[in-house]
Amino acid sequence: MGGSTNGAAGWLDAQASHRQAPSGAAVQIVQLRKSFGAKEAVAGIDLEIAAGSLAGLVGPNGAGKTTSLSMMTGLLRPDGGQVLINGIDVWADPPAAKAVIGVVPAEARLFDRLSGEELLEYSGRLRGLPAGEARSRAAQLLDVLDLTDDAKRLVADYSTGMRKKAALGCALIHNPSVLFLDEPLEGVDPVSADVLRRLLSRFVGSGSTVLFSSHVMELVEQVCDHVSIIDKGKIVATGTTEEVRHGKTLQQAFIDLVGSRANEEEVLSWLGSSSS
Amino acid sequence: MARLLVQLKLRLVTNALRASTGAQVGFVLSTICAAVVAVGTFYLLAILRGSGIAAADLTTVIFTAFALAWLILPVVVFGLDSTLDPATLALYPLRIRPLAVGLLAASATGAWPAATLIGLLGAIIGLAHGALGVLVALVGVPLQVLFCLTLARFVTTSMAGMLRSRRGKDFAALLIIPIFAVYEGFIQIVPKLASEGALTATSFGGVDRWLRWTPPGLAVHAIWDASSGHPGTALLRLALLAGITAGLGLLWVRSLGRALVTTDTSTQSAVRGSALPFARYGLRGTVAARFWLYQRREPFAVIYWGLTAVIMAVVAIRLVMTPDYFGGLLASGAAGGAFVGIFHANAIGMSGPGFGLEATALNGRRALRAYFSGQNIALGAIAVPLVTAVIFGLAAVARHPLDGFPALAVGLAGIGAGLALANLFSVASAYPMERRAGTPMPRAASGHNGDAFGVVILTLLGAGLAVTPVILAAVFSQSVPAAIRMPVLVVCAAGYGLALAWAGVQIAAAAAEQKLPELYQIAVRSQL
Repeated sequence: MGGSTNGAAGWLDAQASHRQAPSGAAVQIVQLRKSFGAKEAVAGIDLEIAAGSLAGLVGPNGAGKTTSLSMMTGLLRPDGGQVLINGIDVWADPPAAKAVIGVVPAEARLFDRLSGEELLEYSGRLRGLPAGEARSRAAQLLDVLDLTDDAKRLVADYSTGMRKKAALGCALIHNPSVLFLDEPLEGVDPVSADVLRRLLSRFVGSGSTVLFSSHVMELVEQVCDHVSIIDKGKIVATGTTEEVRHGKTLQQAFIDLVGSRANEEEVLSWLGSSSS
Repeated sequence: MARLLVQLKLRLVTNALRASTGAQVGFVLSTICAAVVAVGTFYLLAILRGSGIAAADLTTVIFTAFALAWLILPVVVFGLDSTLDPATLALYPLRIRPLAVGLLAASATGAWPAATLIGLLGAIIGLAHGALGVLVALVGVPLQVLFCLTLARFVTTSMAGMLRSRRGKDFAALLIIPIFAVYEGFIQIVPKLASEGALTATSFGGVDRWLRWTPPGLAVHAIWDASSGHPGTALLRLALLAGITAGLGLLWVRSLGRALVTTDTSTQSAVRGSALPFARYGLRGTVAARFWLYQRREPFAVIYWGLTAVIMAVVAIRLVMTPDYFGGLLASGAAGGAFVGIFHANAIGMSGPGFGLEATALNGRRALRAYFSGQNIALGAIAVPLVTAVIFGLAAVARHPLDGFPALAVGLAGIGAGLALANLFSVASAYPMERRAGTPMPRAASGHNGDAFGVVILTLLGAGLAVTPVILAAVFSQSVPAAIRMPVLVVCAAGYGLALAWAGVQIAAAAAEQKLPELYQIAVRSQL
């Protein structure tokens, strides 16, 4: 499995040269806003992710991560603002933008009644790959993602981690230049997480860009070269990981920025004191 | 333990009244149905008094029907009653014997166990004679109810692992088709036969030859024997019924012991074939492949096709054996087309969050046209042979097989209209779906029942309107020689249906192009 990441899926490394926008930014977000009724989920965020970055978008639950990613990927119409992917305005020309991005949604709910193999091939064909090429890439991705033995099982019978891997395969099969992932490693075992991490690093190494949301600070600190912290719909810090950490751990920097609750000791005084 | 589990069951029942409006309505309807079944069964059994051995025959059939219902229905509603699944109790330090007693007591709590007991007690009036007969009935009926409860517990506990698995849930969901067919057959055929005098108590004469040794038959014949001067045989039958119930109870307790330590199951089956069929035929073929596979593998897709066939039969069954059979055949064809539309009129909501994969890939109107037409190809590939088979089956029952052709023409036009309306409504009035525990069929999510109802009514009206010219052509061309009339009707109707479907694809694609993000947001809210 480990060796296959070097041999298979060579098409993922290709064409790095023409991935970048003229400005060098793969993703540019300008004053992106979205409200649901009276609640302002995303309150005018600005963000710029350089091409070839592995960027993390972190924030507490309900901070606006998923809403922001949905608007960046053309799946949720914003109330205002602009999203540029490689210089293409997502909301002015959705087909052109969709052609260059891959998306892994948070819950990885897929077409459960297809087998893993059928799902990846379906995704490739939807993206306009010829049937033979889609089948060949699906087989390579299943190999790299360690899903070959389960390729003929229905996705309905996959574990959470296997679904995440299948979803990543679907997002990568057309070799996008920018990959968006929402909580990509949630529910994924350490071995599979390592496979995904190495695949993403290799993908970024070829000049492609990855933006993923997470609330696992250790993971973001380990793999990301760029971090943005979102809280209550606003970007409260952004920059290289070193800049955002500011000499602390990312976890501590995050808590300093968004605050924490520390009254549980008073409330749960009975916990651990006896068997009753 | 028994008290605790009965309290749990009562709490689960009363909590239904605090849930959504839909759940409250479901609870009230279920309780009303239970009351109707209790009173109706009691009355039916009571009026058999004086019918002699025919009363025993019919009572045996009714007791057996209740036992079968207790065998099948708990499997269908497995996820609805939390006390049915041993996995919910597996984490607690419970001993088997008190747990079994508690679970049995929980089973006996609720409207349906009460309805079973009250309904079957009608046998005291209808079948029992003399003090001994009444006494045996007072023991035999509760024993029969206990047998039903134990049977239900044994079956659900033995199958709990499977019912929790994906394949088991699929199996339980598919049971809805025969249940619906039996229900529709019962309400369509039984009243008609009874009103014509073709169905009386004596119609069941002789059924007890093979049913009398089943547990329901033992209960009924114990009452009959005690009432007709054979107390020894009556007691023997009661003892045998009690023995069978106790044996079943022991098997259930052993099964419960196993189930408490084997709660986790997963389906490990693989699919055949190595690639998407038709994927080489472009985006249209690829989408058709996905929908084709889903029609085979998704239980509710199979259920929809089964229900379409049953509805087509039900619409015509009362007419096909009369001189008005032709109207029944035409109505069946129209119903087939309309229900193909109704069952697929929320394709995007039914796709659920998986639609995100398609929404991020489908670019522009041309791709969306391929998407909708691919979907229609897959659905049409099933609808056309299904509607044809049902129509010609009904025409054969009517002994006028040639008259299946005009009905087929109506069916083909109806399928085209149904698919066109399905495409249009999938875009224009998409709504999220949800699948609740215990209900095999997905339904409109809370707050969207009005959308679903509106789509059903508009699809029925639209399909009815669309097939009207074909119905008129079929009716007013009866003087034309069949050799000319039949092929012309079928070919023209097929062309008309294709034109309708084509128009539906064009309009739906144009509308969807403008609102793909909104459609995705609806799909992602579906809980399937």
